[in-house]
Amino acid sequence: MDWGKVRFFWAEVAQNFTRNLTMAVTAVGTVAVSVVLLGTILFLHESFAIFMKQVVGQVTIAAYLKDNTPKTQVDGTLRVMKSDPRVETVTFVSKKQAMDGLRDRLRGQMNLNLINSNPLPDAILVHPADPNDSGSIAKRLQGLPAVASVNYRSDITEKLLRVESVLGAVGLGVVSLLLAATALLIYNTIRLTVFARRSEIHIMQLVGATHWTVRWPFVFEGILTGVAGAVIGIALLEFAYRTFAPRIAIDLPFLPFNFAVVPVGVIAFELLCTGALVGMLASMLSVSRYLRSS
Amino acid sequence: MIVFKDVGLVYPNGVHALSNIDLELGRGEFVFLVGGSGQGKSSLLKCIYREVEPTTGEVDIDGVPLRGIAAGQIPFLRRKVGVVFQDFKLLQQKTVWENVAYALQVTGASSRDVMRRVPRMLELVGIAHKSKMFPYELSGGEQQRTAIARSLVNNPLILLCDEPTGNLDPETSNEIMALLARINAKGTTVVVATHNQAVVDRMRRRVVRLTNGRIANDQERGHYHIGLG
Repeated sequence: MDWGKVRFFWAEVAQNFTRNLTMAVTAVGTVAVSVVLLGTILFLHESFAIFMKQVVGQVTIAAYLKDNTPKTQVDGTLRVMKSDPRVETVTFVSKKQAMDGLRDRLRGQMNLNLINSNPLPDAILVHPADPNDSGSIAKRLQGLPAVASVNYRSDITEKLLRVESVLGAVGLGVVSLLLAATALLIYNTIRLTVFARRSEIHIMQLVGATHWTVRWPFVFEGILTGVAGAVIGIALLEFAYRTFAPRIAIDLPFLPFNFAVVPVGVIAFELLCTGALVGMLASMLSVSRYLRSS
Repeated sequence: MIVFKDVGLVYPNGVHALSNIDLELGRGEFVFLVGGSGQGKSSLLKCIYREVEPTTGEVDIDGVPLRGIAAGQIPFLRRKVGVVFQDFKLLQQKTVWENVAYALQVTGASSRDVMRRVPRMLELVGIAHKSKMFPYELSGGEQQRTAIARSLVNNPLILLCDEPTGNLDPETSNEIMALLARINAKGTTVVVATHNQAVVDRMRRRVVRLTNGRIANDQERGHYHIGLG
């Protein structure tokens, strides 16, 4: 390791960073604000995804069988469902098991002696691997000869899935806009630094510096801007999370979200990488454009 | 060392800077380019260090044709060619030592190389005692010496000087020209574009006169007014 070279390189980066300090601080601040908003969106998205997994993940399709269906036909229906790759589990619930379950649920609420016949049909309970497949599996079940009717709370499931996809699209749009604005600001900051150092760049080029030698300090400046902004943003988010998450859990217990299980470490890492990546790409674009035109 | 074959240069704004230039400069030669302002001296130098690409014709440097040279190869060409300007183009926030070292550092030289070659170069141009000073603390002559040291530190085969004495008094101009002659004596090809009649006439080296972007005259041991009748 040639420490002289390393020292020279980082001195160039530091010089870039301090040359337009006001602009650099503005860029870092903008990255921080973007990271806070981006982090909040990611956090809410994760919370909602966990909630969805818990709610929609419990979706079960109940196929009620026709009375007096022969056992061979019931077994055939079970086989069809078990061989379907979209299905996770298949359970047969007989008339008797269904009545026992109903009696258990109603025990203490009514006089169970009043129930002296069993109107409940045999049923097959199907648990899909992906809740999005519920509709198509239900449709398939409906077409089988042993099945009388199918119920899977399609209204709630579909509504939740629709809400999830709308929120995902809106979140993606907002995140894209934020990232574009951040990248544009870093791009302009680097462009100003490049402009301030144009005579040095010209001298570098005259004495035979390669384009990459010219580029690297600016690229690292971009990465530093992205990382510095991301670190500040993550620190603010961490503070907000520690302060507000427990309070929300206590003050608003009816909210279906469990903030404690959200992987905040993963989100922080994603934000840090995003900051570095946006900074790197914006600065590379900026300095490359200058070098092409010079 | 440097060969121009029927070179023409038209700038994007339509100005015809060079026309039908045929010129051959040998290894270790010392050549003056003379002519009034806007006659094509600087443009001819720019073709050599590939700041501009000729519109027509061919320029060869050390046997390498520059036409169509890949952009990635230009830095390596420039390491063979040192350039000195009238306005020195020194970095004001760096010391003399750092300015010269900079040319080595940006080409990826090791710090051991930098420590070895910079003092030697400062010694050669006679400015070692001011190595810790900043350009704004130096006289014009000292700044030009620093610029020459920077252009030579990568051991170029060719040294191009664009009006190197333009901002200097006659005595300092003579010192700078004497320094260039010493560098030339060590084997470096030196090409000097100048208006300075006194130094051209005193040194009596090859003189190429440019008029309206064409070579009007080319004479061994010439003087400033060759071709002017």
